[in-house]
Amino acid sequence: MANPVPSACCVVLAAVVMVYAQRQSQQDSPVQYERVGADVTMKCGSMDWDAAVTWTANGTDIDESHLNGSYLILKNVDLSQSGQYACYEGSSWHLKYQTSLRVGTPPKEPVLMCRSNNYPKGFYCSWHLPTPTYIPNTFNISVIHGTKDMVCEKDAIPKNRCHIRYLQLFSTVKYKVTLTVTNALGKNFTTLTFDEFAIVKPDPPESVVAKPVPNNPRRLEVSWQNPSSWPDPDSFPLKFFLRYRPLILDQWQHVELSDGTSHTITDAYAGKEYIIQVAAKDNDIGTWSDWSVAVHATPWTEEPKHLTTEAQITETTSASTSSFMAPPTTKICDKGAVVGSGAVAVCWTAGLVVAAYSVLFI
Amino acid sequence: SPTGDSWGIFTFLCAALCNLPALPALNCSEELGAGQSIQQTYDLTRYLEHQLRTLAGTYLNYLGPPFNEPDFNPPRLARAERVPSATVDLDLWRGLTDNARLAANYRAYSRLLCYLRVLDRQVGTAELRHRLAHFCASLQGLVLSIGGVMSSLGYPLPAGPAAPPVPPGAPTAPNDFLKKMDDFWLLKELQTWLWRSAKDFNRLKKKVPPAVVTLRLEARGF
Repeated sequence: MANPVPSACCVVLAAVVMVYAQRQSQQDSPVQYERVGADVTMKCGSMDWDAAVTWTANGTDIDESHLNGSYLILKNVDLSQSGQYACYEGSSWHLKYQTSLRVGTPPKEPVLMCRSNNYPKGFYCSWHLPTPTYIPNTFNISVIHGTKDMVCEKDAIPKNRCHIRYLQLFSTVKYKVTLTVTNALGKNFTTLTFDEFAIVKPDPPESVVAKPVPNNPRRLEVSWQNPSSWPDPDSFPLKFFLRYRPLILDQWQHVELSDGTSHTITDAYAGKEYIIQVAAKDNDIGTWSDWSVAVHATPWTEEPKHLTTEAQITETTSASTSSFMAPPTTKICDKGAVVGSGAVAVCWTAGLVVAAYSVLFI
Repeated sequence: SPTGDSWGIFTFLCAALCNLPALPALNCSEELGAGQSIQQTYDLTRYLEHQLRTLAGTYLNYLGPPFNEPDFNPPRLARAERVPSATVDLDLWRGLTDNARLAANYRAYSRLLCYLRVLDRQVGTAELRHRLAHFCASLQGLVLSIGGVMSSLGYPLPAGPAAPPVPPGAPTAPNDFLKKMDDFWLLKELQTWLWRSAKDFNRLKKKVPPAVVTLRLEARGF
């Protein structure tokens, strides 16, 4: 009786072993890096030039037109030609040579940026390549301060970033940061030289909130917080720049504030939705932060009068508002009909003032 | 009449309220004044920093290349150490007492002023001399202002420099290039001190007025 399970197991096992062996041999094979546009000649290991061989690219046979004897000729290589190349002896199909071809470019000058968003703790530098090389690159960063070499600790996330702590403050000597990028096809570098105070740029303010002010149709109350990355706002205070505009207009209005983390806009257009942003800067040095996340707010508006008239009709109990609000049908323009609680209050205060004066002078 | 009495009381109350800061002890206004003069000193450092930018630009152009190149970053020579440096260890700076903080500023600017005055005597063009003279006058004002803050807080003024840094007329440097380097570093240190002072006075602004009022009242047994 044939048991299907063990034989199926055997087949699977065999397949796994084969794949593993293939992968191992691939990993053991050398990697060959070539520039885009170069002409590549691959020799079939130790085979003679006139030996009969077959080349494959990623498992697919390569046409004989690309061969010069037993050499494989790839002219003007492009990125699509990266892959696994193998050479087999003609009849025996023995693997004689294999290589992993990676087509790429030498690195262009990298882009480097250094910034202190946590002054006076230190600064960070981040970098990237302007164009990809398609092959692995290593980055090396060096920081020199006068005669001293400083260590820039690489960040785990993001990878292309490192940070450094200031040991001294108020330095007259500049910092020189050099970034070198190397790959199998070449290397390149860039240098930044700067003063301690020149790279100070805080993060944008946080938790920006804009609220309407009750009973004030032209006001908006804006408040925000210092960026959390700024370690010592007491000794290193920030100043702020606020900009706002109604959504319907393109022109921004600006206010610069030397202290405090709130401001009341007093010239908003009634009823219009506003967009508001805030930026921060160290009081004395460096540059302005990026703009904060934009917040939207609309100033307070009074409830329209005709709605209360309708409410009056449907209301069963009369609220105090109805006795003060004049329905549109009555004579609003009548000189005698001064409506509203305001007028009543005026009368009372006038009376009190008169009384006070009389007490003083009599 | 009662009217006269009422008005009299009212007038007295007004006067009392308006002059309240001066009433309890004469020194009270001094301390509140200290807070104000710290603000004034801070403002002066900002003004001087602004003035220095123009002065330094003109002076470095007068020195010529490479001193007027923006990337010029020479190594610090030993002789340049005579100019007081604003550079300080971060924790040390944080831990400075108010007295030490003010004294460091006072000493630095007094010496920098001396050096600048020497420069003034040697400089070539009339325009530069005029600018330097103006700057020296403002810098003198800053030294006096810092001295004023220290006095109002009861701190002794640091002793002046032991001897003038350079006897007038004597050669300051073995050659012209080294002399120019000295000038370059002098301006650099001055610039650095001015932006350090802004931070020093920020710290003082936050700390001085309330603390000092309490101390003074305690001293008088209030």
